[in-house]
Amino acid sequence: MRTLALALIPRAVALNLALGAVVQALKLPVYLDSVGTILVAALVGPWAAIVTGVVSNAVLGLLSSPTLFAFIPVAAVIGGLAGVAARLGVFRSVAAATVTGAVIGAAAGLASVPILLALFGGVTASGTGLITLALRAMHLPLPVAAAIASTSTDVVDKALSCALVALVIARLPRRLTARFGVAHPG
Amino acid sequence: MSDALARWNPLTPLVAALVLVVLAYAGPAPVSAPLALVVALALAWRTGVGARVTWLALIVGVPTFALLWLMNGVIAPDGARVGGALPLAAAARDANAIALPLTAAIAALGWTVVGIAPRRLTRALAARGLPAWSAYVLVASLEAVPEARRRAHEVLDAQRCRGVAVRGGVLGRLRSLLPMAGPLIVSLVTESEERALALDARGFEPRRHRTAMVPIEDPGTERAIRAALWIVLAGILAWRFIH
Repeated sequence: MRTLALALIPRAVALNLALGAVVQALKLPVYLDSVGTILVAALVGPWAAIVTGVVSNAVLGLLSSPTLFAFIPVAAVIGGLAGVAARLGVFRSVAAATVTGAVIGAAAGLASVPILLALFGGVTASGTGLITLALRAMHLPLPVAAAIASTSTDVVDKALSCALVALVIARLPRRLTARFGVAHPG
Repeated sequence: MSDALARWNPLTPLVAALVLVVLAYAGPAPVSAPLALVVALALAWRTGVGARVTWLALIVGVPTFALLWLMNGVIAPDGARVGGALPLAAAARDANAIALPLTAAIAALGWTVVGIAPRRLTRALAARGLPAWSAYVLVASLEAVPEARRRAHEVLDAQRCRGVAVRGGVLGRLRSLLPMAGPLIVSLVTESEERALALDARGFEPRRHRTAMVPIEDPGTERAIRAALWIVLAGILAWRFIH
């Protein structure tokens, strides 16, 4: 791994954790906890993004709750898919990045379902868990309710995260994007 | 961090926690999960981090139990697997079957997370062959988080002073996202270039193993304890495989 990519990963991990302050200040109904992972995917590629996602969840698990260790595979899926999308040039356009983000969010939501079912019985103590509960009250089977609850939140979150990354990349200095080997979209 | 755990090689409590997690999920029911929970909490209290570990386990275990009990016993009883209404006591037993191993696993992992300094754990892992790049990424990430959080608050304060709106409808607040998050993201990417130069200047070699200036001790007794723990772990998995 090149040193520039290696130096970017810890800052991207920190970004994943620090953007919570912005989300809180703006009272937005999203997490934006994968922006750093998607940024690494766009600037470096899928493997570095997978490492960023895995380390982000590991660090968050170490700093706040060990529950997050269970969702490390989901972070890897987000990083991998965003990296593949970046190779296809998706982050050159905000619209394409938003649509791709929605697809990544759906995949991430589905990837979290087996973990939710196996370890948590289908619900976690969060807003998503309450949505699952409401959907179960409408007599939906548990796997379907868990899948709808987790994808509904992830689709919006990842679409917004990808759009934000595309907008930021367009504002980075050309010299810097060239150092990462990325064609400047502007 | 726990002073009592600082006397141990971090890998020993880590392996002990792994054994407890495997015991909670793969050991003989119904005794294994409560046993793993009791042992994890006893270890946590014995090493001076009991209050935080108990809190960590409770804030995951209790809501999970409550939500599962509500889901299976109250809200959607006819959606449950028995076809008819689940009695509330049976729903509580079902909820317990999921929540108790989860609580035990959180207590075991929480004991290591709260008790061991992450930097010390990374050094111990590096001494066991973790490549330099992984050790760098882990340690640098842990160090970068508080700095990035501080910078995020600085950017927020600065942008508020310039009049960026943080109130109003969702669309208005979404429009403020780029001015709020953009400077933080750009500054972190720019900083990574400087850090890369510093790494190159120091001759950092990502694939080499790092040598520690102050090695973490790993006495024979601890190696023996870890070997015994691995045997216990293999035994639990073998039991699960057979049954």
